[in-house]
Amino acid sequence: MSTSGDIGILAIGGYTPAWRIRRETIAAAMDWAVPALKGMAKGDRSVANWDEDAVTMAVEAGRRCLEGRERSTVTGVSLAGTTLPFADRSNSGILADALNLDEHIRTEDTGGSRRAATSALQRLLRQPENEGSTLLTASDCRETQPGSVQEMQYGHGAAAVLIGAGNVLARCLGSASIHRDLVDQYRAHEVDYDYALEQRWVQEEGYLKVVPAAVETALENAEIGVEAVHHLIIPAPAAVATKLAAKMNMPDVVIADSLAGQVGDAGAAQPLLMLAMTLANAEPGQTILLVGFGQGADACVLQTTEAVSDCNHDVVTPGRRLDNYVRFLALRRQLNPDFGIRAERDNRTALSTYYRKRRDITGFVGGRCGKCNTLQFPRSNTCIHCREMQTQESESLAELSGTVKSFTEDWLAYTPSPPLVYGNVTFPDGANVLMEFTDTVPGEVEVGAEVRMMFRIKDFDDHRNFRRYFWKSVLTGEAKHG
Amino acid sequence: MARGIADQVAIIGMGCSRFGERWDCGPDDLIVEAFLEAEQDAGIDRDEIEAAWLGVFYQEQSTGKSGLPLSMALRLPNTAVTRVENLCATGTEALRGAVYAVAAGACDIALACGVEKLKDTGYAGLPERTKGTFEDLWQVSNTPPGSFAQLASAYAARHKRPMEEIKRAMAHISVKSHANGSKNPKAHLRREITEEQVLNAPMVAYPLGLYDCCGVSDGAACAIVTSVEKARAMGLKDMVVVKAMQLAPSNGYEMCSSDWDGSYTPTTRIAAERAYREAGIRNPREELDLLEVHDCFSVTELVLMEDLLLSEEGRAVEDVLDGVYDADGDLPCQIDGGLKCFGHPVGASGLRMTYEIYQQLLGRAGPRQLHNPTLGLTHNLGGLPMRNVASVSVFGLKAA
Repeated sequence: MSTSGDIGILAIGGYTPAWRIRRETIAAAMDWAVPALKGMAKGDRSVANWDEDAVTMAVEAGRRCLEGRERSTVTGVSLAGTTLPFADRSNSGILADALNLDEHIRTEDTGGSRRAATSALQRLLRQPENEGSTLLTASDCRETQPGSVQEMQYGHGAAAVLIGAGNVLARCLGSASIHRDLVDQYRAHEVDYDYALEQRWVQEEGYLKVVPAAVETALENAEIGVEAVHHLIIPAPAAVATKLAAKMNMPDVVIADSLAGQVGDAGAAQPLLMLAMTLANAEPGQTILLVGFGQGADACVLQTTEAVSDCNHDVVTPGRRLDNYVRFLALRRQLNPDFGIRAERDNRTALSTYYRKRRDITGFVGGRCGKCNTLQFPRSNTCIHCREMQTQESESLAELSGTVKSFTEDWLAYTPSPPLVYGNVTFPDGANVLMEFTDTVPGEVEVGAEVRMMFRIKDFDDHRNFRRYFWKSVLTGEAKHG
Repeated sequence: MARGIADQVAIIGMGCSRFGERWDCGPDDLIVEAFLEAEQDAGIDRDEIEAAWLGVFYQEQSTGKSGLPLSMALRLPNTAVTRVENLCATGTEALRGAVYAVAAGACDIALACGVEKLKDTGYAGLPERTKGTFEDLWQVSNTPPGSFAQLASAYAARHKRPMEEIKRAMAHISVKSHANGSKNPKAHLRREITEEQVLNAPMVAYPLGLYDCCGVSDGAACAIVTSVEKARAMGLKDMVVVKAMQLAPSNGYEMCSSDWDGSYTPTTRIAAERAYREAGIRNPREELDLLEVHDCFSVTELVLMEDLLLSEEGRAVEDVLDGVYDADGDLPCQIDGGLKCFGHPVGASGLRMTYEIYQQLLGRAGPRQLHNPTLGLTHNLGGLPMRNVASVSVFGLKAA
């Protein structure tokens, strides 16, 4: 560990779902009602699969951020977002279990604003954990009303940063916040969609007045001038960002890609997703101005270090296209197709059972036999290989690669995205799990293919407004379709 | 030293309801339909039955729990009735209970009955059910076709065979069973089909199309058993005797271990070896005259021909396509139409298979009658290829 002077961003990772829909596809389906959509019909937006939500996306972003790092050094997890699935059940607790983090760490959920992540980032950079590091994840999976501007503009995504002392990618030079109840958009509890006000008002009175006020103070705190800023990250349409740069006298600043072409606006995750992209392309010694916006603004001045040269991950991985607008609606539960009697199954969870098995399920923790070394899932009292009893030590399969042993594409089984593709997957040291494949289409899975594990929604219990999570297989090879 | 059960127990009466979408019947009606035939066949009065076993699988969704459905349907005089359930081997388990009781000398006459009323559940295919509070947390909500379909992809990979070839053998199996079932008045599906129809049918679970799947039916079947001595005393000359009844449940190996390659059912192999040993069979392919196997799906029947040690490993495709298991082949399989045409009312299936062997051995199978068979086999595979209960039973004709 380095000295406390080196507190900053140790690592960063972004995740955007595999599925994309062309905005043209949306406009073609809905412009009979809203002709103005045609004018926005450029590029793709990301679409979370039916089995993804803010928690599962945060898990994936967290895994990417922590790749190659010792997870035992993580002593805190923050999860920021406006669409966390549970209002009372620690979403960050699920995240921590899925990442197999120690039970004695601090977990916290933050929300209530699209600034949830930037506010948390500022706070954590000022007041880091005493020892260890904090994983700050931001994730949003905002549903949108068919035919709305938001449906065109939003995308689903998540990002994660690891904050602590050590060989940091960037450190914080100063920051500031301003709160101003300019209600550019809002979403009340128990409501599915955002209610948005006129964009011109939001631009003129919001972005162009509120952001500069925060930025000015942040630069003062950082003791630098506007000319020192190399990168400007502002979660706003590109035209608004350009106007802001001009207004703030930053003519030469590099305005960060808003990701509009492939992702869209990922809500609370957007500033960190853009930061992940910026850090992957930044030079050492550059200054980044990171802005969060929503009923006020956060401004954070970051300076990159030599270590940023090694930060070259993919933030936006290649997607696959969803050509069917109706299917897009169904995947996001905006449309409820008749899937027949099998969809009526009661998915009540025995939560006392879940409690006993929570690490097995959420962390994909199996057992390794201390006598014959065979890995197996689920962990059990008796080894599947040598039949010795009570010899198994916990070991997660989540980060292992698997190989497809057998599979089917099942059109009879219920899934919100037929067919249900599943099969036997083998793992090193003897394990085999019959599991679901996700983010795939018929004709793609084959025996012998390599898969990696992803944390996903297993099923919904609509009677009790509950959802269960488990791990699924995703093909690691190049997608054949899409 | 245990003496086993071979040649000790005789089946003296059997009955089988008509299988199908029996909208006219409840489980009690089906039980009575099968039982009356068995009672008449055995020539006994139901009050002579000293113990009974009832096989029902979907108790909550169809017939109800416990031994009561049988006791009440027949208004038995408070005879001991035990309800058994062991997945798709449930019917055979009912028979095993009755056979064991007689072999043990605990009673003279015992009844086995299996019934399932699937069509009242509202499902096409087998109904959904919970897997238990822990497994529901992680197990895929798979279906039987999707689970058995995986035998095909794994078999193709293991034996390096193109799926088209396997599909053709699967189609041959379904065409053969439909041809057999068309001659059976008790079968549900009685139309002949063509290979082209099978290959062009809508996909249910890759690579299984609609005609690769067995029907969904209601049905019941009964067997009345007694000791060979008692049967002789009752005046029986030719009689069908139990040669072997073996059961092999998975211990989790297939589903939990990468050692199993997914292309076969290890439990069937184990149960078959035990049954052949018990029955004194050295060369099953030569000695057996007919088979009733668990053809829930065409691909299951295909791999079972190897698992029952009848076809050589990797050669079942050739044997099937060569007609070995056809009605006029060396070793007819599913001469009654099988699950394919009878459907699979789970609790009844094992006893329905036994019913066909019984009829064939006694020469009573009408237009389906084979030439002087003396040894027949039934097989059930309960559950899924990756976790199941396999049963193999052998029945023989004991001539006077």
